[in-house]
Amino acid sequence: MNIKAFFVATLTSALDLGIATPDDVLRHATADVLSIHLPRPLWARLLTAALGAPRLDAQLIIDTVGVPNLCEHIPSSIIWACVAEIGQRALSGAPAQPISRQAAATPPSGVKSIPLAAPPPEVKREAPPPEPKREPLPDIKREAPARVPAAPAAAAAPAPKLSDGLADVAAALEADERELSPSGRARSNTGPRFRQAGTGIGRLAAINTRRPQAPAPAPEEPARAAASSAARPARRGAGEVEGAYELESEVKEDWKSSLAVEDEQLVDWQGGEETQTAAEEYRKR
Amino acid sequence: MSDPRQAWFARMMESGLENSIFAPSDVLAHATPDVLATNLPPELLSKILAASLAAGAMTPERVLETLTPEVLAAHVPHDVLWACIAAAAARAGVTGTRSS
Repeated sequence: MNIKAFFVATLTSALDLGIATPDDVLRHATADVLSIHLPRPLWARLLTAALGAPRLDAQLIIDTVGVPNLCEHIPSSIIWACVAEIGQRALSGAPAQPISRQAAATPPSGVKSIPLAAPPPEVKREAPPPEPKREPLPDIKREAPARVPAAPAAAAAPAPKLSDGLADVAAALEADERELSPSGRARSNTGPRFRQAGTGIGRLAAINTRRPQAPAPAPEEPARAAASSAARPARRGAGEVEGAYELESEVKEDWKSSLAVEDEQLVDWQGGEETQTAAEEYRKR
Repeated sequence: MSDPRQAWFARMMESGLENSIFAPSDVLAHATPDVLATNLPPELLSKILAASLAAGAMTPERVLETLTPEVLAAHVPHDVLWACIAAAAARAGVTGTRSS
């Protein structure tokens, strides 16, 4: 038997349905009763809420403490006395309560003047005017549907070739948009463009015609590494370089897969003569 | 269920059964056959009888499968339901004098 759960359901539904009001509950769960039976953390919560509220009433106390906590900590005989009174009143046919719990939750007129939701409507009113300027959007899509579907200024920009880097396209769009849009106009957030700028994917796409480059060690590293790689295959420096490469590859997996690099090209990178030659070339550059 | 009092009694009956405050037999101890026969509409009486015939026995549990808390609150007088609840509260020992 779970009498407390029964009380919770009974009191909660009575409050929700307007059969009872918080005042009915506090007539039995008086301040004295609460002071004796309510745990200190709940008292702390109650005091905090009461101090922060413009006014203190039974509704606030019930809402702050909660019916489950009341039924948990207040003696069942007191809760039952409350329920019994509510039940007797309900049976007598007397008007349950003039206002329901929801109505009681509505703050009185003095408290109502807190301007919680005032600013948003003004912002919304300013937003619609730029809408007509977006009408040429279908034309833009028709002209350049391949890569830049969401940018309105793409109509004025020449359609980028596929070999062009995405960064160049983004830069062109930025420049064109700066010319077309008035200074005060709110711009829509074109997510993909900013993502390209942030991640550097566009820059990588621009150089994807070149041979893939694994991060080379410091200039003096290759010689030392070549000399000792046979003796110490698991050097700490080599592991770091490899780790760095793997880290980079996680970010750029989309272009990595498009390059079709053979495994042989990557395995003997530090030991092979070809690699050393390449390292020499880099050093010259 | 438009009547809040009816909804509340339905909720109390539901919670009382869920939390084993009272059992179906306790409900039928108050909602006696006379009470049910007097207050239930013919279709509900027929439904109870048909369900019991199909199962081969009429038990309080089976009766309350048909007479859900909502149905009880809608047709059984609320003072009868309240008597059931109050008796259960007395059995649970929560109806004593208030302790401060």
